[in-house]
Amino acid sequence: MSLTNLLCGLLETGVNQLHQLDSSAVIKRKQLNGTIIGVSLKELDIPLYFVISDQQIDVLNKFEGQTDCTIRVSFSALKQLQDNHQLTNLIKSGELEVEGDIQLVQQFANLLTDMKIDWEEHLSQKVGDVVAHKFCYHTKQLFKGAVTQSKAIEKQAALYITEEAKLAPSGLEVAYFCDQVNTLETETDKLLLKLDEKLNQQS
Amino acid sequence: MKKSPDNTTHFGFKTVEEDKKVELVADVFHSVAAKYDIMNDVLSLGIHRIWKRFTIDCSGVRKGQKVLDLAGGTGDLTAKFSRIVGEEGQVVLADINDSMLKVGRSKLRDKGIEGNVSYVQANAEELPFPDNHFDLITIAFGLRNVTDKDKALASIYRVLKPGGRLLVLEFSTPLYSPVKKFYDFYSFNILPKLGKLIANDSESYQYLAESIRMHPDQETLKEMMNQVGFDNTEYFNLSAGIVALHRGYKY
Ligand SMILES: C[S@@+](CC[C@H](N)C(=O)[O-])C[C@H]1O[C@@H](n2cnc3c(N)ncnc32)[C@H](O)[C@@H]1O
Repeated sequence: MSLTNLLCGLLETGVNQLHQLDSSAVIKRKQLNGTIIGVSLKELDIPLYFVISDQQIDVLNKFEGQTDCTIRVSFSALKQLQDNHQLTNLIKSGELEVEGDIQLVQQFANLLTDMKIDWEEHLSQKVGDVVAHKFCYHTKQLFKGAVTQSKAIEKQAALYITEEAKLAPSGLEVAYFCDQVNTLETETDKLLLKLDEKLNQQS
Repeated sequence: MKKSPDNTTHFGFKTVEEDKKVELVADVFHSVAAKYDIMNDVLSLGIHRIWKRFTIDCSGVRKGQKVLDLAGGTGDLTAKFSRIVGEEGQVVLADINDSMLKVGRSKLRDKGIEGNVSYVQANAEELPFPDNHFDLITIAFGLRNVTDKDKALASIYRVLKPGGRLLVLEFSTPLYSPVKKFYDFYSFNILPKLGKLIANDSESYQYLAESIRMHPDQETLKEMMNQVGFDNTEYFNLSAGIVALHRGYKY
């Protein structure tokens, strides 16, 4: 019980903190002021209720009143909710169920996922332009580097597991093993046939 | 709580005359008002926020309803209720202490909460509202400070609409003895020191620890609620009974 309360709290704080940095969030919230939207992920089945007001978004995990719109959506479809054209497809494919005003779904998805945050700008107010620019540049570089690195590590690890540690067989070994199994199979079949013949002769 | 024959009541562990308690409690909250929110976060390690979230979840509050946040102090619950009941709804923040009300009012204004919230200085024992008026009444960490709790519960029952509910969030009796031991140590040794350090006021926090010990336990409070007429009364233990949420309905 209190774990879901904790999760809701963290989610709420996170979203509202991000909204503080996003200059477009206020207008978007104003448009949805007074709207209550229920969301449940198909994979999780914990309902969440988003109470949207001028001031902020409140996230509850119980709500006994009427929502303006309730959606059930699979995790993979979350990102596509913003796209108006996708909505009908998602509903058809069963990845999205909507009860209530479908117009709200897209607006809501926009509010949560389409944040326009200029990190460099916010940072520069704290530490000055030059440092902020350098920091953002290096972070991007670092990120790029990390992606290449992690790919390399993946490759290395695969090599290590198959060649060095022999934890997993290599492709050739697997193929050879399959061949052996096939031969064994045909041999067994032959043996069974012979056995059959012998038994038939005897009876 | 039972009244002693000679018109005295508890103020923490001390026994004082009844009229005096109101004044003494007032002093406590006048002196902590300014630092109240920070102290709440520090002393409970932020956990009071989760207790309050649970309270909101159990409230069943809806758009357009009338809510009374009694002993509402700096208005944590009021803020949430105000956003949930929306423009057609109404929230009253009532507190006996005008220092707390002032802090509450300016905090909520700063957050942009206006329009559907009103502020009323009132004693829980004699609520200045008509009968059958509110859909929901909450009293969070407030009942403990009230001199005549039975009178307060009866007064709450009167102003609640039929079908409405009361939620009492309050410190209670821990369920397990290790928790109890740790908790006793924390509240009598650490709490007043922290109070001194942050708010320069160890006495108020000494009072806090003592008043918690004098408060009726889970079953007793449930019985008290039933006595004044509440139905389907139940309680939820939070954080191993350090805090309990009592819920009762008026039918
Ligand atoms: C610990 S604070 C709780 C504030 C707030 N509900 C919260 O949870 O953060 C207790 C409040 O109860 C108020 N109080 C004490 N006795 C009262 C009474 N008889 N009637 C109304 N309020 C009272 C105090 O002034 C104080 O603001």
